[in-house]
Amino acid sequence: MSITRRDFMKSTVAASAAAAVGIPISQIAKAEVAEAEKDWQWDKAVCRFCGVGCGIMCATKDGRIVATKGDPDAPVNRGLNCIKGYFNGKILYGKDRLTQPLMRMTDGKFDKQGKFAPVTWDQAFDEMEKQFRRAHGELGPAGVSIIGSGQYTVQEGYVAAKFMKAGVRSNNIDPNARHCMASAVAAFIQTFGIDEPSGNYDDIEYTDTAVLWGANMAECHPILWSRITDRKLSHPDMKLVNLSTFGNMSSSVADLEIIFKPNTDLAIQNYIAREIVHRDAVNWDFVNKHCVFATGPYDIGYGMRNTDKFAHDAEKDIQAKENAVVLDEAEAVAQRRKAGETVEQKNAGGAGKHWQISYDDFKTAVEPYTLDFVAELSKGDPDESLDDFKVKLKQLADWFIDDQRKLVSFWTMGFNQHQRGTWVNEQCYMNHLLLGKQAQPGNGAFSLTGQPSACGTAREVGTFAHRLPADMVVANPKHRERSEKLWKLPAKTINPKVGSHIVKIMRDLEDGNIKFAWVQVNNPFQATANANHWIEAARKSDNFIVCSDPYPTVSAKVADLILPSAMIFEKWGAYGNAERRTQMWREQVPPPGQARSDVWQVLEFSKRFTVKDFWGEQKLPGLKADGFEDGKLPDVIAAARDMGYSPDDNMYKVLFATPANTKVAWPDPVAKGHDNHTVVALGENWFPEKALFEEYAEFGRGHEHDLAPFDVYYRDDVRGLKWPVVDGKETPWRFNGEYDPYVPKGEKFAFYGKALKAIPKGNLDGVTDPNKTAHTDKAKIFFRPYAAPVEQPDKNYDLWYCTGRVLEHWHTGTMTRRVPELHRAVPTATLFMHPADAQSRNMQRKDVVWIESRRGKIKAVLETQGRDRMPKGYVFLPFFDEGVFANKIALDATCPISKETDYKKCAVKVYKA
Amino acid sequence: MNISGIYVLTSPDRLEECCANLAGLPGVEVHYRDVNSGKIVVTQEADNVSAEVDGLKRIKALPHIIVAEFVNHWFEEDQEMVSEIPPDLDDFEGLRHARVPDYLHK
Repeated sequence: MSITRRDFMKSTVAASAAAAVGIPISQIAKAEVAEAEKDWQWDKAVCRFCGVGCGIMCATKDGRIVATKGDPDAPVNRGLNCIKGYFNGKILYGKDRLTQPLMRMTDGKFDKQGKFAPVTWDQAFDEMEKQFRRAHGELGPAGVSIIGSGQYTVQEGYVAAKFMKAGVRSNNIDPNARHCMASAVAAFIQTFGIDEPSGNYDDIEYTDTAVLWGANMAECHPILWSRITDRKLSHPDMKLVNLSTFGNMSSSVADLEIIFKPNTDLAIQNYIAREIVHRDAVNWDFVNKHCVFATGPYDIGYGMRNTDKFAHDAEKDIQAKENAVVLDEAEAVAQRRKAGETVEQKNAGGAGKHWQISYDDFKTAVEPYTLDFVAELSKGDPDESLDDFKVKLKQLADWFIDDQRKLVSFWTMGFNQHQRGTWVNEQCYMNHLLLGKQAQPGNGAFSLTGQPSACGTAREVGTFAHRLPADMVVANPKHRERSEKLWKLPAKTINPKVGSHIVKIMRDLEDGNIKFAWVQVNNPFQATANANHWIEAARKSDNFIVCSDPYPTVSAKVADLILPSAMIFEKWGAYGNAERRTQMWREQVPPPGQARSDVWQVLEFSKRFTVKDFWGEQKLPGLKADGFEDGKLPDVIAAARDMGYSPDDNMYKVLFATPANTKVAWPDPVAKGHDNHTVVALGENWFPEKALFEEYAEFGRGHEHDLAPFDVYYRDDVRGLKWPVVDGKETPWRFNGEYDPYVPKGEKFAFYGKALKAIPKGNLDGVTDPNKTAHTDKAKIFFRPYAAPVEQPDKNYDLWYCTGRVLEHWHTGTMTRRVPELHRAVPTATLFMHPADAQSRNMQRKDVVWIESRRGKIKAVLETQGRDRMPKGYVFLPFFDEGVFANKIALDATCPISKETDYKKCAVKVYKA
Repeated sequence: MNISGIYVLTSPDRLEECCANLAGLPGVEVHYRDVNSGKIVVTQEADNVSAEVDGLKRIKALPHIIVAEFVNHWFEEDQEMVSEIPPDLDDFEGLRHARVPDYLHK
């Protein structure tokens, strides 16, 4: 390359970067950029990775992506990209991209023990249909399942959920978002009666204080982090607190770093609440008008199986705690009981129930959480003095309580992946609500997400085992009725029994209750804790596993059939991010080889089943619901006939290619010349992504979940819109009368969510008056106690073990490990450990070590320096690396309310390999 | 040959010092600076994308850097795709051992 050409490219790259970050550039520089990019076609798109939802610009040339950059007009990231976002265009071009269906075969036939061989899509669907019919025939709708995703586009999640819930009448669809967001969701619903955060990212620029609770934002949400550091720099009074179980990159600019012991965040929050009470700092105007106090049972188990039938010997002592635990000293104080008392976990099946209590009860409940008690219990770094730690806790409480100070709490997996995840989320709202610091610019408790459409798809569309679109649930007869009406289904088509959540689908595969699983847009066999069990289960002879993925993941390897999927920019789609912002993109390039979109895969598969396959009487073990015969879903074929369906109509026609949907024509001017391979492969002339989005949006419009018309999101001047979008206007702060059209006129605030508003009355010990009172427009302030982790270090397994992410890789590394530069930056997962812990085990940095838990052992390279600083007694291992496989040894205990796994705490030993 | 555009943020009173440090790094040129906000845009020239990532890490390690992130890049390289079955796809046994798949090293 000539010097002139090189200099020219440099100045255009610099000018383009400067424009992106808001530095003015000259007309000449602008012209140079235009010249350099003259053959490129730029279009707006969204980053494929985390829940922040950065806007990116995507350049194509001759059917290839040639460049991506941060979108300067995107309000989320304002032109910036983190290192993962920067390489968005490259994740499509991994050397091992799957481009044809692969099935395990011997002598030209499917064989569970066979080797993968290429097959046609027809052959793939033929075998898949056969296996689906086998499992469905033997076990009914409960015997088949889909493992879905927080990375589904809105349309992918919608077609998968509709196929299962309206077609198959099975609620066994649950996303990997269960591992990520379920605790946040349960707390939203219990506290506010509606899902999703009230604030938005602009809170960062309005606040004076940001408190990170178990969220390493610097590594996991780098773009929001850049906004926080920006705010800190431009606003000298801005304070930043990083609460974590180990020192991480987010501590670098923190004013306060609080290292606490696992699970003691429960105690720290109650300490803050006690301080609020004792300093007479409750915002009574706010609390009296908008809140009600509540609590629930403490004896709720740990979300493990209540039988040891499937446990290996080493697992049995922990499993036994699912049925009864002996309270330790701290739990006894925290729960006002006696140490050494055995508590049967009687409410493991009803963990979510709760009732109203008085403020006096609440005061009594937080009284034990004195500074002395909480500091002693929660101090996480043995090398820190207790006095220093107390000063920090007190400072934190001071900042919370200072009525001149705005404050935002951010959290992600530290709270959500927690044996008491729902509780700890609710405690955060407790303190914000007590102080009236919620739902205002710069004030609020803000749950961040890990996946690009955990909010927009997994939650809003309702791809969970208990949900329907727009916050409705299968167990509620009115919600089923409304869904059946919108979906044009006969009454009682929808199954009222909650299906298996993702961990239970794995357990069901192990114990023979589910025999067909279709994995879509995620990698559950690497991502689910205690993975050895589930890998063995997948390989059991009568289980059939289908995995749709662009790359050969662990889940693909343990599958029987692999379907090659189109990736983000190879299809039309929409994501909804953590601040309720829906963003859409067009298909930019065609998928390689025979890869196809997940929408096409579900639509095509649905053609193979008819009304009479699914809508006759179905057995459903354990079903008990009003209006239903025990253990049975009724025959609705006659009712369907009355509605104009023939028993031989296929599900594609009944559910997807409906008369209304097929009127939405392709081609469509909104495409502006972009293609749609889903339409081409279907051989149709309707536009599924648009028609199905509009059909889905009907659920939420007028019901606090309004989405704008499809075409609006594609307008050049739109960079996503925050729902609810009412009369063309987005909602920046929910529940706040100034910003939210759903708040009744004249009211300052209204927590108007409709779910779980009516609750009985009681005291700290239980319900005293079972008659329910409806607390319309109010939020609940929950008291939740400290509870000890179910598995803790002991003499044999003497270290805490925590898993998580690193900056360069995302999730299980399926995409990021295909980008050579990201892979080279962090090729393998290393085990972080305190140098003194290494020394006392005769180990050195870079040694290969075994990490062993009750559930198995894995090998990794030891690291005692670098970005993460462990306190003594604590180790951290990232989970992106399938070679190291962190989740093999992690415990599959979950929050009993949300069923979300706690990946953040179990006990291991580490020794030289 | 890779040229990347990198956004750097420092406090305005450290701007000069930061620009001098940046200019001293291999392949780095400072193109834009904003005295009011402390924003800087540099380009970095690197032989390959691996060196590009290392370069960003070097920038992040400089004193007084608050933010350093890639914004865009320009590269000339082969994007050919290989449509063959990944060699270790059938290696289910491989999952039992701790190692990185070979194809990632190629």
